[in-house]
Amino acid sequence: MRDTLRWAYALNQWNVRLDVFVRHEDQQRALKTVSACGFDTIELASGTGRWDNISRPEVILLNHGSHAGFLDFLRRASVQGVSSMFWDPQAPAEEEEGYAFRSTANPADADAIVEWSKPFVDFVAGVGAEQLVVRPVGSAWMTPPLDGDGIKRIGDVWNRIGELTSASGVGLALHYDCLGAVHTAEELTALLDATDPASVGLALDTAEFTVGGIDPVTYYREHADRVTHIHLKDTRYADTGDEYRMPGAESTMLKGGAGRRIERWFYELGTEGGLVDVRAFVAALREHEYSGWVVVESDHGGNPAELAMLNSWYLQHELGIPKS
Amino acid sequence: MNQQNIKWSYMDHWRSNGPSGPVDQWHSHKTMSAFLKQIKATGFDAIDTFDFRIWQMYGDYGGPAKYQEMVQDNGLERIVNTFHAADYDVRNYAPHIPATHEYILEDFRVTMGRWSEIQLDNIIVMPATLYYDMEPVTEDKLKYTAECWNKVGEITAGFGVKLTCHHEFFCGIQSEADIETFYSYTDPQYVSLFVDTAQHCIAGVDPVALYNRHAHRVSGFHFKDTRNVATGDDHRHRPDSEIMAPTTGKWFYEMGTDQGLVDFAAMMTAVRDNGYRGWISVEHDKANKEGGDYSESTAISRWYAKNVLEEIYR
Amino acid sequence: MVWTKWSYMDHWVTETPQGPQPPSFNRAYMDRYVKQLSALGFTGFDTFFFYLPLYAGMYGGVPGFERFLQDNGFDKITGIFSAYPSATKYTAPHVRETHDRIVADCTNTLRMCEALTGVENFIVMPTSTYYQTEPVTDDTIKVVADLWNRVGKLTLEHGMKTTCHFEFWGAIRTRAQLETFFEYTDPEYVHFFCDTAQHTIAGVDPVQLFRDYRDRCTGFHFKDTKNVDEHEAYRTPPDPELMAPQVTRWFYEMGEGGLVDFPGLMKEIVASGYDGWLTVEHDKAELGGGSYAEATAVAKWYIDNVLAGAQAAAEAELGVAR
Repeated sequence: MRDTLRWAYALNQWNVRLDVFVRHEDQQRALKTVSACGFDTIELASGTGRWDNISRPEVILLNHGSHAGFLDFLRRASVQGVSSMFWDPQAPAEEEEGYAFRSTANPADADAIVEWSKPFVDFVAGVGAEQLVVRPVGSAWMTPPLDGDGIKRIGDVWNRIGELTSASGVGLALHYDCLGAVHTAEELTALLDATDPASVGLALDTAEFTVGGIDPVTYYREHADRVTHIHLKDTRYADTGDEYRMPGAESTMLKGGAGRRIERWFYELGTEGGLVDVRAFVAALREHEYSGWVVVESDHGGNPAELAMLNSWYLQHELGIPKS
Repeated sequence: MNQQNIKWSYMDHWRSNGPSGPVDQWHSHKTMSAFLKQIKATGFDAIDTFDFRIWQMYGDYGGPAKYQEMVQDNGLERIVNTFHAADYDVRNYAPHIPATHEYILEDFRVTMGRWSEIQLDNIIVMPATLYYDMEPVTEDKLKYTAECWNKVGEITAGFGVKLTCHHEFFCGIQSEADIETFYSYTDPQYVSLFVDTAQHCIAGVDPVALYNRHAHRVSGFHFKDTRNVATGDDHRHRPDSEIMAPTTGKWFYEMGTDQGLVDFAAMMTAVRDNGYRGWISVEHDKANKEGGDYSESTAISRWYAKNVLEEIYR
Repeated sequence: MVWTKWSYMDHWVTETPQGPQPPSFNRAYMDRYVKQLSALGFTGFDTFFFYLPLYAGMYGGVPGFERFLQDNGFDKITGIFSAYPSATKYTAPHVRETHDRIVADCTNTLRMCEALTGVENFIVMPTSTYYQTEPVTDDTIKVVADLWNRVGKLTLEHGMKTTCHFEFWGAIRTRAQLETFFEYTDPEYVHFFCDTAQHTIAGVDPVQLFRDYRDRCTGFHFKDTKNVDEHEAYRTPPDPELMAPQVTRWFYEMGEGGLVDFPGLMKEIVASGYDGWLTVEHDKAELGGGSYAEATAVAKWYIDNVLAGAQAAAEAELGVAR
């Protein structure tokens, strides 16, 4: 995309379940698809185990020998580099970490989480990416209510990891999501206040904000100085019934297993009935001369190639951004 | 900016998955809109279509001109070519049987009238019946067939549209010798050649050499790939060898596929060296077989066009 | 008499609004999945240890899920599959120091199976990948055997037999390695689970293996393959089932022209007097455009039309009536 904003595409939707997106030729097809849609930079998402072949630093290095080897692999498909990598320390990394459940909300887990971050920090720096994008806290339904001290403790963990990322020359961006224990705009702002602006930023995901009841445009305007990373996607629904508190909300809410039985929450840009004011949001980024990456996602949608093409069309024709 | 010699069009085959299973883009306005957006997003400039779509154009969009407006609303230039997928029948519609010619000519008079509200470049035909309906392929039959298309070409020329022949590997005129004989009897003014890279390869004909021999009368291309050459009587299976041939479950792949038999670099070099200017159509036929996906194939083929072919000629 | 104890191993992928997903996507998808298996006539259900918490969440406990199966004509949950395909610093069957952790994991899984009708098999991959374990020495196999002897004693206390399912890419894969392993394990505690495709790929005849270890055999995965591993694919990191350069799809349903002699195996089963569960497994059936639903239906057709005939013929030959 030829623009003053820097656009990247997330590969997460291609790796849609345990045993897919493993073979290199499948990954090349995804990379070429993203490239044909006008994106020459990608975001990776962390995973676990032998089948997450493009998700785990050790496994990527096992496949490609070195950071440079991995970049060569991307460049075979005319993808030039990596903007960022997403990591959720709360996700049980079944194999590498012995199925441990950790939480930044639990002080006893802090040291282990800081330790776990190291391969990711090294990898992000090694491939020349700019941001380690992280899930700052686990799901609300699994976490005890957080008071100010609780949020402060979470901030402390990320401040420690922020020191590591800064020392490696990369950024650390906390990615708010609609299920997280830090849920309201006030809680999110408190978390930002508890972190060091010099090393810790906010990853603003337009759909997650909207589902969670926070207006992304307003929040961005108020906190533009802290926003260092963007995930751009749309949604047709907001969580108006506190569904995020349901046990197993990952499934009961986001996969329609209970509540309103909504089986798909996230949509491509320009979707019918989309709640995100994408134009206004992108205009706000331009007003504030936002300089980070804007990562478009097909996250939790359907066919990733189809969604990448529809997202590309929206950028080209609704936002008037030339592809090349 | 350099003069652009080549533009890319996308031939109408498509499937996407909906709640009721796989559907084509003509299923609804919504699926059509999503199709056109995807084609445009990856960098195609136009679309090709089929003649039989005209009923949906009239029924769902108010006719070809109105449909073309929708195409343009999505950022594409226009409809470039239409494919006249005739239902050949030796009783009444078979180019090698002169007694059926008047019926064929009338069909084209009517068809061209239906399309006359928009300007097409080509109307593409499979010039012969299915192989098993024409064999043995004799010189006389080739001659009758040529006479038929000379007359049809005159009709389409009256509408400013070229009649151009697309040789499926399972049609009556698919071998190199028969193709050569056929063109020796047709009038270059009225009958053009449309080179389908995969179909010729499957039939054992080198598409690059064929193109070089007939470049002066080539009016378009389907760029698609294959991994298999037809063997035995693959080309003679009822009702449709593309589906029924015993050796091969999936014949067609997008450009740039592993183990593809078409030498696209040589093809594009020939396109350049022959000074061709205009449209190249990309076609994916039955791309969703064996786990394939139209969206993905389309993005990858346009990636290949941009990163490999446009480096040779654009 | 018709063999009634056919169970289905819980691999399945179905289309959802978020793309192809396991039926655990949500309760409605899960219900439909169980109904499809029920319609085909499966009466046993094998699953993975990692699905148990999901099913517990959807059905109010694992016993609640089993009751749903029973409402749909199933007898019970028949087997639980547990595995450490990748060796890690926490868990690696060939590393003795990790055994306590593995035993603790197994204890947790057994806890999730409490109050079930009677799971029969606790199915394990005895080792992690070959490439992480090699060199595979006598001692390596001894260490692995010690682990499963220990786990086998534990599961038996909960009424389940620990039974070993050998992958073609696991560290115990050749006939010689299998023999050593069975020699080092206690027949009372460690059993044999015969996966027809995996052994065939590894170049081991599953029918002969069953014949030789019939006394220790407690179950089967009936699945087919079209390839024997002739290129050392078993050593491909990180996962030979998906990464082997020469073979993109290893596993097929029965009746699709594969290498396994299922009627021969069926006759051998009848002749042996084995009367336990027979399990159908489809692994990565969606590759190349396949569908789990169709593969399962076609496999069940094969059971009802081909294997039933083989069974009847064997019974007639032996003069036995089941």
